[in-house]
Amino acid sequence: MKITESVKDNVSQVYIKGRFDAHTCETVDAYIREKMEKGRHQFVLNMEKVPFIDSAGLRVVLVIARDLRGEYQGDLRFAILQPAVNKVFEISGLNNVLRIFDDAETAAQSFSE
Amino acid sequence: MYVRFWGVRGSIAAPLTNEALSAKIEAAVKLALKAGLTDDWQVSEFIKELPWHVRQTAGGDTACIEIQAGGKLLILDAGTGFRRLGLDLIQRSMGSPIEAHILITHTHWDHISGIPFFAPAFMPDNALTFYSPYSGLEDRLNHQQNPEYFPVPLAPAFKFVHLNERERFQIGDVTVETFPLNHPGGSYSYRITQDDKMFIYATDSEYQGLSADSLKPFADFFNGADLLIFDAQYTMLENVEKENWGHSNVFTGIDMALEAGVKRIAFTHHEPAYDDEKLGEILHKAKEYLNINQPEAGLQLYLASEGFSMTL
Repeated sequence: MKITESVKDNVSQVYIKGRFDAHTCETVDAYIREKMEKGRHQFVLNMEKVPFIDSAGLRVVLVIARDLRGEYQGDLRFAILQPAVNKVFEISGLNNVLRIFDDAETAAQSFSE
Repeated sequence: MYVRFWGVRGSIAAPLTNEALSAKIEAAVKLALKAGLTDDWQVSEFIKELPWHVRQTAGGDTACIEIQAGGKLLILDAGTGFRRLGLDLIQRSMGSPIEAHILITHTHWDHISGIPFFAPAFMPDNALTFYSPYSGLEDRLNHQQNPEYFPVPLAPAFKFVHLNERERFQIGDVTVETFPLNHPGGSYSYRITQDDKMFIYATDSEYQGLSADSLKPFADFFNGADLLIFDAQYTMLENVEKENWGHSNVFTGIDMALEAGVKRIAFTHHEPAYDDEKLGEILHKAKEYLNINQPEAGLQLYLASEGFSMTL
């Protein structure tokens, strides 16, 4: 899995590329938590290059979003879900509690609302 | 190896309410009107075609599973379903002595509260043995039947075998192995093997670390099972909200089963607040999830319900 970041107006755009599963979830978790510890609390996870997510990936994003909301008044938001990933978000009910956007710019702007 | 569910509810018994029964009847009658039934002979076929949550119920009794393997009777957990199993065993035995090997995962109420009502325990010729890695199991069960809580003491017919946390032992031709799970106060999984068939009972466990490394010990224990009985009390969201409550969900179960090469998984320990429609929906979503993420996998998914049986 490859992870990169760009920051604009205090919003961290995190781009991940590859399968988000039991073999990669710790990498994503550690990457975002390291940024959290450094004071970053507004994240957009750009999922354009993520073709697959399993229960391990779902749990990681849910727990990070919960911690950001509860401890830092921040959030983890999502941009550009691939159809299969979007369907898994729906089936698992994550789309009811996480904010998902069609493009990264709108997702980032949502923190200014 | 024969497997039958006698109790599938978690936490506390949750009998079908009159309101829920009325709703099922109303739904069935409306569908019958829509189908235009006109004769009695059409009814049984029509009922078979009704949605599962309309024609059946998962049941309200708590954890209890019967296993028949190699001529031995094994019972997993003794929740409220243990009471009805006891009555059935008496009827089946037709007066012959009953020999039962009862494997206890842990001593939370939903796994032991059927014991005071297990009628075969009051027949002195029966051989009933509890197995558990808890050294104080006998004390715990005696306490449950202290006079403050129950008028009759624990039946003297019960014998006790103390197991280690990770133990492998024989009951006749049947091999039984234990493995510790993640649950407040502890819980143990049992792997039961006879001939070339393997059954796993893994209830009351939470998997917080879902990385491949964290799950490997569990996947190794579950590896190649013909049937995995898996605690799926919560939805994915509830599993995060109720962190450290010691339960899991269908999606985690599917991924662990796939990782372990399990052939069939049955979800159990149903949340007492869920009605049959909700449980049916959970199974439906589990099947959708499997179909999206691993459409080529041969894993078969089941929702445990009272009376449901399977021969491996």
